[in-house]
Amino acid sequence: MNTEALTETIVNSTNAWEYIAIIELVIILILLAFVFHLKNKNNIKNKIKDTIKQQGGVDANDVMKDIWLSKGSYDELKKKCHPDRFVGDENKQQIANEIFQEITKNKNNYQKLQELKQRAINELNINI
Amino acid sequence: MNVWNKILGWFSDRSERLKLVKSFNMAANMSFISGDPTILRACISKGNRNYKHQFSSLFNTGFRIEALSGRSLQRDEIIDIGSVILNNTTLVRQLVTLGFDTLQVHSNVGSYGCQWKLIDYAEIGQTLIGD
Repeated sequence: MNTEALTETIVNSTNAWEYIAIIELVIILILLAFVFHLKNKNNIKNKIKDTIKQQGGVDANDVMKDIWLSKGSYDELKKKCHPDRFVGDENKQQIANEIFQEITKNKNNYQKLQELKQRAINELNINI
Repeated sequence: MNVWNKILGWFSDRSERLKLVKSFNMAANMSFISGDPTILRACISKGNRNYKHQFSSLFNTGFRIEALSGRSLQRDEIIDIGSVILNNTTLVRQLVTLGFDTLQVHSNVGSYGCQWKLIDYAEIGQTLIGD
């Protein structure tokens, strides 16, 4: 093998190693970007998680009351507090309207329905 | 350190999930004793992977409520139970953060049941959607 051919072989193999090194560098950069992105995403996730945890949990007994008692309470209240029952008394009709909207909004919340029932008894003077 | 935090977080989430299920079952028992017609039982189930979100656990992502009524529940009854849970945003958010993505309501007799995608009812915001 003459010197010229040997030099050419060395140059070719050096070029190949350069390409491999560049590809490796690109892969490393992509992986670093991915890890950085994942870390940011996890930070946001943990922040949301902590905020929700700080808001506190739910009392399971209240959930049971909502499941079994709210429907009956809602059916009763929506009949008794319907604004059409107070035609002629504008003030009471307005209050009934407000209460009725709240009842519809909280139809699955037994505790809130009980509060609204009390409000209806006090402000609309009705017997429930 | 990060891996260690993740391991601790996994155990803590798991313990909180069990605590939630336990408190739900306890309240259901008390409610049945005090006269409600059906006893409910919560458990952790496989869940539906199509409902996956960012907080979903790797396995067992379903919060399943079984109604031990001794009869097959009607669709309306199942939906009533489901809608009470779904309207309670605080509870839904708690379930979502604990890694649940599916709410399932079934009766103990028959194969009929309903399931809901929890993240749709959590009102958390757009950051979570489109993972």
